[in-house]
Amino acid sequence: MNLLHSLFPNPETSFPLIAVILALPAIGAFVNGVFGKRLGPQAVKTMALAAVFGSFAASVAAFLLLVSHTSSVGESHEHIKFVWNAWRWLSIENTPIDVAFSIDALSGVMMLVVTGVGGLIHLYATSYMEGDPGYHRFFAYLNLFILAMMVLILGDSLPILFVGWEGVGLCSYLLIGFWFEENKNAAAGKKAFITNRIGDFGLLVAMAMLLNYTGSLSFSGIEAHAGELITPVQIWPIGAGLPKVLSFLNGPVHVSGATLVGLALFLGCAGKSAQIPLYVWLPDAMAGPTPVSALIHAATMVTAGVYLVARMNFVFLLSPTAMMVVAGVGALTAVFAATIGIVQNDIKKVLAYSTVSQLGYMFIGVGVGAFSAGIFHVFTHAFFKACLFLGAGSVIHAMHARIHDTDKMQDMRHMGGLRKYMPYTFWTYVAATAAIVGTPFTAGFFSKDEIMLRAWVNRIPASPPLQDMVASQAIRDAARKATQVLAPDQMEAIRKAAIQSLEIPGWFSQTIFVLAVLGAVMTAFYMTRTVVLTFMGDFRGWRIVPGWKDPHAGHGHDHHDDHGHGDEPMDGPVPHESPWPMTLPLVVLASFAIFAGLLNAPLFKIEVMRHWIDRAVGYERIEHAVKTVAEEGTPAFAHLEHMLLIPGVLAFLIGVGGAWYIYEVKKGEPARQMMASAAPLHRLVYDKWRIDELYEATVISALDALAETSALFDKYVVDGVLAKLTAIVIQSFGHLFRLFQTGRVQMYAATMVVGLLATGAFLVVPHAELVVQAEQSSGAYVLQASPGLGYEFRWDRDGNGEWDDGGKWTLMEKAQVNLAPGNTQVVRLEVKNVFGLTAVRELHLTRPLIDKSGPDEVGMVAPGGAPKEVAR
Amino acid sequence: MTYIPLEFYLIVSAVLFVIGACGFLARRNALIALMSIELMLNAVNLTLVAFNRWLGDNHVGQMFAFFIIAVAAAEAAVGLAIVVAMFRLKKTVLTDTADLLKH
Repeated sequence: MNLLHSLFPNPETSFPLIAVILALPAIGAFVNGVFGKRLGPQAVKTMALAAVFGSFAASVAAFLLLVSHTSSVGESHEHIKFVWNAWRWLSIENTPIDVAFSIDALSGVMMLVVTGVGGLIHLYATSYMEGDPGYHRFFAYLNLFILAMMVLILGDSLPILFVGWEGVGLCSYLLIGFWFEENKNAAAGKKAFITNRIGDFGLLVAMAMLLNYTGSLSFSGIEAHAGELITPVQIWPIGAGLPKVLSFLNGPVHVSGATLVGLALFLGCAGKSAQIPLYVWLPDAMAGPTPVSALIHAATMVTAGVYLVARMNFVFLLSPTAMMVVAGVGALTAVFAATIGIVQNDIKKVLAYSTVSQLGYMFIGVGVGAFSAGIFHVFTHAFFKACLFLGAGSVIHAMHARIHDTDKMQDMRHMGGLRKYMPYTFWTYVAATAAIVGTPFTAGFFSKDEIMLRAWVNRIPASPPLQDMVASQAIRDAARKATQVLAPDQMEAIRKAAIQSLEIPGWFSQTIFVLAVLGAVMTAFYMTRTVVLTFMGDFRGWRIVPGWKDPHAGHGHDHHDDHGHGDEPMDGPVPHESPWPMTLPLVVLASFAIFAGLLNAPLFKIEVMRHWIDRAVGYERIEHAVKTVAEEGTPAFAHLEHMLLIPGVLAFLIGVGGAWYIYEVKKGEPARQMMASAAPLHRLVYDKWRIDELYEATVISALDALAETSALFDKYVVDGVLAKLTAIVIQSFGHLFRLFQTGRVQMYAATMVVGLLATGAFLVVPHAELVVQAEQSSGAYVLQASPGLGYEFRWDRDGNGEWDDGGKWTLMEKAQVNLAPGNTQVVRLEVKNVFGLTAVRELHLTRPLIDKSGPDEVGMVAPGGAPKEVAR
Repeated sequence: MTYIPLEFYLIVSAVLFVIGACGFLARRNALIALMSIELMLNAVNLTLVAFNRWLGDNHVGQMFAFFIIAVAAAEAAVGLAIVVAMFRLKKTVLTDTADLLKH
């Protein structure tokens, strides 16, 4: 500790340890990516593990220093932030964009989760990916992901965050399509990437708006100028408005800038964190290797959206509307995804929908202003969901001993009874399940119940500046429509109504709460179902023959091969427990899944996590912006808190009990009956409510139609008309010029001779050319003759028909004529060259009457110039 | 002492040049064409030397003439080589048979 203090005496201005945290995974990714193939799996493994665990160690050191600095400021709620400013990236007008990273309470927690859980999953993957031909590629991507995720978390401004945001998206794409030989996997990767682009668009728009309103993109800069977001923005009508017939639709609609920015940001979050309507990519993302699903699509990357909302809380809290959307979408997603999870047979698919659903809970948390509760759920979810995925991976690893078809070996209908053979996997999976279903006193219980409590009690009132803005805008709109001047009492009524409309109604909070409880019941149900189907009962995958040897042994891991022969049961070996690099992470994660909740257990008056996160979010702001229905700390609040535990515990009991009864006691008979009696409904839910098909029919087909129209345009207009026309013109010129290309040297030489003769003739004949420069105001016209070989000149400036100076030839190229307004004069020039040939030019100069309206027309080259100086 | 006036040289030079040009344009034999080119170059040389003498204060014209003689020698070497190559290919040195670029 003392060493850390002496190494980094003032981390709040310069904290280069961040460079170490970021550089280690970067080096790992580089070495494994470039040299991995030559280094061999053993070295790749060492490099990858060293990189990520080194980064974890540095993170722990940074975190300890942060804790020590935080405790040194004592009770004051100062926001401690360690900053490392790498270099200035660019400067947009006066807004500098620095490559700066920072660690505060919020990013510190995320940093530990990413490197810690990431390290465990790296360890797991070293064994899981054993023998894969793309071993080095896998670990290069995985290390690159850790780097990108750390950039996302530690970035001190939105552009840097965006770099990481895109980086994790890229790694996600690469790893989903890791086994890209199979078309399905490559398609899933593309789907994830493209769906995320829609969200990224929102994030970019939000950045542009923030730059416009606050003039800054760094978090502290946006926070300082966040007040300027409260400004009315007209979102309808766009442009000039609709034609008169539809003018009733033209009533201008105004929203505050904060709402717009919040919604645009949330679009980005919905993409990355798989919320309605952009959640569709996450279930498909399970096509990637299971450690990837655990790391990227459960524990870390998908929580980036929650992190962003918490990070940008100062924007979201300004807009109750945006908060309402965040919480509402979160609640809908939580329930919707859970319904799909109930009927899926693929164990990874169930976990994927469970992740979508749990992410919904996190958004409920941050959406009701309980940022610490949302981030706490991110924290606990990282442990139990990673553990569940790794457990599922361990099961799949065991199934892989005999079944080589990806879909079949993940199908729970082929599992069962694995409890006997895989004790570590079984017990860790049960522990993680206990956490996610909210078994009292596990991590999930505390984090989920905190979110549900906050959903019920928290209210986001509109801030006074927002009230003023909305009220004055409403009065202005009304005044524009009204035929007479508004009376004061009318104005007061409009004002009240406008402010009233900003309130989030009580029923909204209650609906969110009910949805959350409903989701919790379903979560408990489907998670218990996976436990029973996978680990209880008898094994259904193959007939177990002890000592069985794979006749095709030695052909390596071939994922296209299916050794099943129809429906007849086949022989196979005894399912085996996974090796220690896979079980060790399971045990560590499972213990965290059970005990991590004790970091924030209001029931036992422990609120470490909440105080820790609130420090980064800002105590004062939360106190101002978030109100509770009952004063916190009063007996009424405590009573409410205890009452609201009951639905949560009931949800757990009903869900777990129901699933246990149906699948363990009755061996799934009621489920089969229900499936038979409501087959269409089951089919619909099994097909994920056919949302993919809906998108296919609407958005995708609309885009396809647009693409096809463009293709037709390209084919018939661009290629057919424009390109052909150009080709025809060029071709006809080609035909023409080909006639000259006789291929005979004499012909070419004759052309040259003719050209030379023409040039010579031009040079021999004198040319009397004149340039007139007119000074309109004084009437002075300066005439300049073009020079030539041995030219001599004589002028007739006064136009009397006789050459000036007695017709003497001089070298005078310039002559000046002064004219009175309205006068016309004839000027003549004669040129003689060395051969004694002469040429004459006559010029009629007219000075227009003084007329200020027209532009100056004089001052042109005489031949073909202005009509008033026609040269003859 | 009287000199031959400049105009005489120029007239001779122009006549030589025109003979060369006409020869090049009219004759089909590659050897004759080369000789015509030489004639034109020498016409130019004559002009340069004549002007050099007429101006008299430096020898730029003579220097140019030497340059042209050197270039003409090189040109003759290359040109004759081409004629030889062409004869080997076509068994004739008539220039209208050398139309590979066209056909």
